[in-house]
Amino acid sequence: MFSISSEAKVGLFVLIGMIILAYMSFQVGQRGFTFKKGYLVEVQFDNASGLAPDASVQIAGVEVGRVEAIRLKDGKALVTLRLPREIKLEKDVTAAIKTHGILGDKYVEIIPGTAGKEALQPGERIERVERQADVDRLLNQLAAIAEDVKAVTGSLSKVMGGKEGVDTLGAILENTRQLTRNLNMVVKSNEANLRAMLENTRELTGNLNRIVVQNDEKVGQVIDNLKTASKEMEKTFAALSEITATVKGGEGTLGQLIKDRQMAERLSKTMASLQEVSDKINSGRGTIGKLVNDEETVNNLNQSLSGLNRYINKTEQFRTYIGYRGEYLLDKSDAKSYVDLRIQSRQDYFYLLGLAVDPRGRRTERESTTNNVTTRTEEWDKQGLLFNAQLGKRFKDFVVRGGIMESSGGVGVDFLTFKDRLKLTFEAFDFSRDRKTHLKTGGELRIFKNIYLNAGWDDFISDQGNSSPYVGISIRFEDEDLKYLMGSVPVPK
Amino acid sequence: MIQIIDIHKSFGRQKVLDGVDLDIEAGKTTVIIGRSGGGKSVLLKHIIGLLKPDRGQILVEGVDITKLNDRDLNEIRKKFGMLFQEAALFDSMTVGDNVAFPLREHARMSEAEIREIVADRLRAVGLSGVEAKMPSELSGGMRKRVGLARAIAMRPRIVLFDEPTTGLDPVMTEAINQLIIDTQRNYDLTCVVISHDIQSIFRIGHRIAMLYEGKIVASGTPDEIRASQNPVVRQFLSGSIEGPIKII
Amino acid sequence: MNFVLGAVDYVGRAVLHSVEEAGRIFQLFLSVLAWLVRPPLRLRPIFKQMEFVGVRSIFVVVLTGTFTGMVLALQTYHGFRMFSAESMVGATVALSMTRELGPVLTALMVTARAGSAMAAELGTMRVTEQIDALYVMAANPVKYLIVPRMVASVVMLPFLTIVSDFVGVVGGYFVGVHLLRINSGIFMKNITKIVELDDIFNGLIKAAFFGLILSLIGCYKGFNTTGGAEGVGRATTEAVVLASVMILISDYFLTALMF
Repeated sequence: MFSISSEAKVGLFVLIGMIILAYMSFQVGQRGFTFKKGYLVEVQFDNASGLAPDASVQIAGVEVGRVEAIRLKDGKALVTLRLPREIKLEKDVTAAIKTHGILGDKYVEIIPGTAGKEALQPGERIERVERQADVDRLLNQLAAIAEDVKAVTGSLSKVMGGKEGVDTLGAILENTRQLTRNLNMVVKSNEANLRAMLENTRELTGNLNRIVVQNDEKVGQVIDNLKTASKEMEKTFAALSEITATVKGGEGTLGQLIKDRQMAERLSKTMASLQEVSDKINSGRGTIGKLVNDEETVNNLNQSLSGLNRYINKTEQFRTYIGYRGEYLLDKSDAKSYVDLRIQSRQDYFYLLGLAVDPRGRRTERESTTNNVTTRTEEWDKQGLLFNAQLGKRFKDFVVRGGIMESSGGVGVDFLTFKDRLKLTFEAFDFSRDRKTHLKTGGELRIFKNIYLNAGWDDFISDQGNSSPYVGISIRFEDEDLKYLMGSVPVPK
Repeated sequence: MIQIIDIHKSFGRQKVLDGVDLDIEAGKTTVIIGRSGGGKSVLLKHIIGLLKPDRGQILVEGVDITKLNDRDLNEIRKKFGMLFQEAALFDSMTVGDNVAFPLREHARMSEAEIREIVADRLRAVGLSGVEAKMPSELSGGMRKRVGLARAIAMRPRIVLFDEPTTGLDPVMTEAINQLIIDTQRNYDLTCVVISHDIQSIFRIGHRIAMLYEGKIVASGTPDEIRASQNPVVRQFLSGSIEGPIKII
Repeated sequence: MNFVLGAVDYVGRAVLHSVEEAGRIFQLFLSVLAWLVRPPLRLRPIFKQMEFVGVRSIFVVVLTGTFTGMVLALQTYHGFRMFSAESMVGATVALSMTRELGPVLTALMVTARAGSAMAAELGTMRVTEQIDALYVMAANPVKYLIVPRMVASVVMLPFLTIVSDFVGVVGGYFVGVHLLRINSGIFMKNITKIVELDDIFNGLIKAAFFGLILSLIGCYKGFNTTGGAEGVGRATTEAVVLASVMILISDYFLTALMF
């Protein structure tokens, strides 16, 4: 009889047990033996919080190695990665710390570099590091930009503001009012003609729009040029800032001009002359007057425009909106006003230009320590007139926009729902260092075709007491609406 | 050779040995007789140190084994062999391994030497060639003989027999008795036998001692015992139910 | 009145008896330790016992382990489905097997198989004077009989447990993936994610403790058998009951200590 000794049986059993144990340990164990081979590379992160030794190293979601060690070096986290020899990294790979899994384990993701580039040698360092989406850092950069913008607008504001500035502006506005009234009268008396003209103009713009669309490529080039130009803008801004500072100090010709009372008077006189001219036009005096009042001329003009329209026919809408919004700040008993011009070049793309009048300004408390004496200063940014210049793009129900908001850098998100009847808005701007970011959130509900109700909370995280809820109303017209409005609104004769 | 001096032993409230005094002479076979359950086996276990007396001394070649620690006791035990009542062979081992067990435990010998000794001892008990058998394959008489072979494997000076003939047929009884006599003579052993088989006692015993109610009531040569006037001995030998021995 | 006194007397005796028994078991354990380190250490009887305790228990351990894993998967599946957490079935089975059921069930099965056999074997040796024979031949029965059994149990129990763990998970996998249609990848992924090395190793340490308990009690009961064949039967029963109870009690404390 063939028999196996006890020792052999026990030995076989122990061996099987060991194999199972090793298999199970390897399956569940954090430390695999295979990764002890391979080579090491280093990568330096600003912040390696949450990353643990033995964490996974992945390329395209596939684990290729483990984190060997994490050390502090020069105030940064120096992370050593162990990779198998068959994994070659190009010199320009990018490393990033990412999070995955239910438990949110951190791991190191390696984004491959240029194929065929020289491989990273053991012990070398991955130079490119994708920083984690660090909101603070982003805001700091934006704040730096806003600082520049603020310097420019601040200077402008000081030029425009003040007793003299207000008087001057007042005179300008008064003249403008008279001018528009006269224009109104002109329009009134030539209503039919103007309507025809506007009709033609509309078609013309429509056709122009088509041309623009058809020549998209060229437009693209134009935009590229604009981009280059905008880069120059920054320099220009800086220069402008300097100039305005100089202007403020009354230096230079322009400074003297603006400071000069005579100048204002001259401007006023110009306006007055303009009024005279328009008066004359109205009464059919002078060449333009005759032209405008002459039925035949108008007909000719119309015909010309019609011809032009026929030449560039089908319409691709290039929409323009103009709107006013008033917001009453409940806690401040003050109102903010906005006037906007929105140019929608494509269905999902728009430019927004506008002015905002904030009678209150933003308050800033500042603490400064000089010679161990802490002084607390309260500052009001009574900028009065604020500028808006934004670029926006719509993605389905969301609109993302950014640019200059209330004379400072900012970004905003709108969410449109109920067939665009309700718009929820969130804006963040004025990333200035000495106060919290100006955050504004609110909703806008369309109640009639052109009339909207607004409500929300302005500057709600303000640590300077600027926070306030608001209610408001806004009116917005499309260029088409404007046309009808012009025709239907009774204008006083 | 062995002096038993005033041994007392109780199990709980039951007094089993109540002052036993007995000398066991070297080179002789001493038979201890007595009633079943009368303490003969207990006395035997005292002699080999399996039990410790409550009081008294047991001197083996002058050494009091009741005071010894385990290690020294084991040294003394190497002078002993013992044949148990049911032979107490290890069920898990072959006959050969059973006989070789004490040799393997204590003697520094090669396996060949051990095998030779085992064969010799089995021949001595008349069972040559059964080394590979398991104890369960053997009859009662054969087991006893293997037990004896194991007991004498180390060539002890003293061999204890615990009722060697109990449960055997008369032929086998006679064979075992003859074996004990031959072995005693051949190996020049001091034997202590406990038994209540009257025929065997006189066949094998050089000296006979009667244990009754925890004491040795009579001791002497077989002739002396046969001529004893002690009523207990007389009743025991005659097998009468009339007498001082209480039947419970 | 007599009845009351009798009851008190009975309880007192029982307590005294169990305390005394615990003391004796501990004494036996100490002497096993003493004999374990005293040379020579004979490997052959140890291997024989290893074969008996370990190798011959594989079948029963595999059987119980597999079905335990299967029924665990089935039961937890129905519970977890209420929370849409079916994917956790594998991890639950694996965790239960490695931490608790693997060691405990293995120990109970080995107690029933080998612990009882130890008690019966030693008990028989006691009543047939084989243990006395060992003494007479100047061979210490603790060293000769108990040390190999305890060493074999302590060494083999972890190996049996790892087999039990493994087949339990395999059984759970079979039920979970093939019968209940849980995604196999998620099943395994959650096991490897949630079960840790410590769970397995602590389970194995437990198993070694259980091996000590079952062999110590089995040997003790057998070694101190009195009263012939009936006594052997009683010793065997007592050994199995006491060892099983002690395994479950000590499991609680070991768990409390480890996890």
